[in-house]
Amino acid sequence: MLARLGLDEGERERFGAQLEAILDHISKLQQVDTSDVSEMAQVGELVNVMRDDVREPCLGAERALSNAPAGDGRHFVVGAIQENELDG
Amino acid sequence: MSSTASTITALAASLRDGSSSPRELLAQTLAHIDATNTRTHAYLRTTRELAERQADAAARTLRANPESAPPMCGIPVALKDVLCVDGVETTASSRVLGGFTPPYTGTAVQRLFDAGAVCVGKTNCDEFAMGSSNENSAFGPVGNPWDVERVPGGSSGGSAASVAAGDVPCALGSDTGGSIRQPASLCGVVGFKPTYGRVSRYGLIAFASSLDQIGPFARSVEDAAIVYSTIAGHDPRDSTSDPRAVDDPLLRLRDGVAGMRLGVPKEYFGMGIDPGVREAVEAALRVLEGLGATLHHVSLPSTEVGLSTYYIIAPAECSSNLARYDGVRFGLRVEHPALIDMYLRTRDQGFGPEVKRRVMLGTYALSSGYYDAYYRKAQKVRTLIADEFTRVFADVDALVSPTSPTAAFPMGDRDDPISMYMCDVVTLPVNLAGLPGISVPCGFAGGLPVGLQVIAPRFEDSRVFRVAHAYEQATEWHRARSPLAEAAA
Repeated sequence: MLARLGLDEGERERFGAQLEAILDHISKLQQVDTSDVSEMAQVGELVNVMRDDVREPCLGAERALSNAPAGDGRHFVVGAIQENELDG
Repeated sequence: MSSTASTITALAASLRDGSSSPRELLAQTLAHIDATNTRTHAYLRTTRELAERQADAAARTLRANPESAPPMCGIPVALKDVLCVDGVETTASSRVLGGFTPPYTGTAVQRLFDAGAVCVGKTNCDEFAMGSSNENSAFGPVGNPWDVERVPGGSSGGSAASVAAGDVPCALGSDTGGSIRQPASLCGVVGFKPTYGRVSRYGLIAFASSLDQIGPFARSVEDAAIVYSTIAGHDPRDSTSDPRAVDDPLLRLRDGVAGMRLGVPKEYFGMGIDPGVREAVEAALRVLEGLGATLHHVSLPSTEVGLSTYYIIAPAECSSNLARYDGVRFGLRVEHPALIDMYLRTRDQGFGPEVKRRVMLGTYALSSGYYDAYYRKAQKVRTLIADEFTRVFADVDALVSPTSPTAAFPMGDRDDPISMYMCDVVTLPVNLAGLPGISVPCGFAGGLPVGLQVIAPRFEDSRVFRVAHAYEQATEWHRARSPLAEAAA
């Protein structure tokens, strides 16, 4: 559910077996001694890169919405978020 | 002169001595693509209108300032379909982005355009750059110009195949675990992955943000260096872009390898290497020795767990990056009155099987119960892998190895995910450590191209070019033309 993929029964079975094999393969990682090692999230030396807080040109609503499957000219439009909205 | 047989340097000369023009070159290129694309399917679309505008602008620049015009002025280029170009459909070979037309152009591509390059089309690739054979494209596989029944490698398979088919002298790809170097190796062309942070990722559709780099394919090391120096450099729009000045790789390109210490990592010659590949690469090492370099056996013991590390970190980052494909702001939407069901249906129908596998693997590795065991553990092993490179580079100037354990394999040959993942076993550690690496043609195994990989410390991109250039100039491999390029010439 975290992946937000609506899989059918066949996919569940197929992916289940494949992912099990992959997880089995990558589990050899557990044998590596990392007791004194810190984790690495990125390779660069850069930290907290900021830009000046000044306004810059931006896309604007029309271009930002130009690829939207549904929009009203100013907003992206989506379906019901709460189940009770479905009836309304 | 046809672009088929040419390098950027030769074409740049022909554009200045009047023997060719950007429009002529473009016409030849598009005709050539017409002839080869039915066999390779390297292009998802050509961009004639944009190319004609750019060719005319390049012609004006060349007329006004023939001497000071950049070397890329008027040169046809192809772009992997993960690179955003304003107004040109960009899909990352995924159904979920069908019809997506970016409202902006990415920095690396803009720099090529500013230098006068002529964009002829968008190339096929594995969906969201995930794959090693180009078979994961939602729009069909790519044929290798050396044997169209075989894969070109991946994920930048279309860019590699297009250069190998003689369509264009250069193309851009992206490399997350080997996606430039491995297809370059399998297609017999040069492919370069820059130091992480050297080329802006702004406008590159993200796969795994801490690993992705854009880089060039070309027919010579010098040409790859020309494209690289055009696209490299700091960009405030990418917070991982490094602000240090980029040294010109052409300045010391011809300095040779005499006196250089080259490391040969023993682990890179294990890993299921094909005997023909081993033979070609060992012969290449003797050539480098003959040029005055000394060879030193080195060990990178964590190579064995590199694959496992990569297949946690890359899917974890991909699962996060691909969360944006939800049917709301761009691309495919499969309608349903309830938002959550719209998400589920859109993503189920929009993504192909390999993307789904990685999204699931990534969300699993990042989920609270498994985060420490998988993601955090992988980040620690990544530190070990990077540290091993640092230690080895205290003793040697660069590393030399095969690029891929095998030459091009037949389509459909690797249907289980793990055997496909093995394709990148000697390229992906380079991404984990953020190093620059190149693949340069170094012979044939069973009639198919083999690549030599050269790796250097971070920000020593020029050294990679220098070693590769010395090797290339001492051999004839880079002059070999694929059967498809010969037939279409």
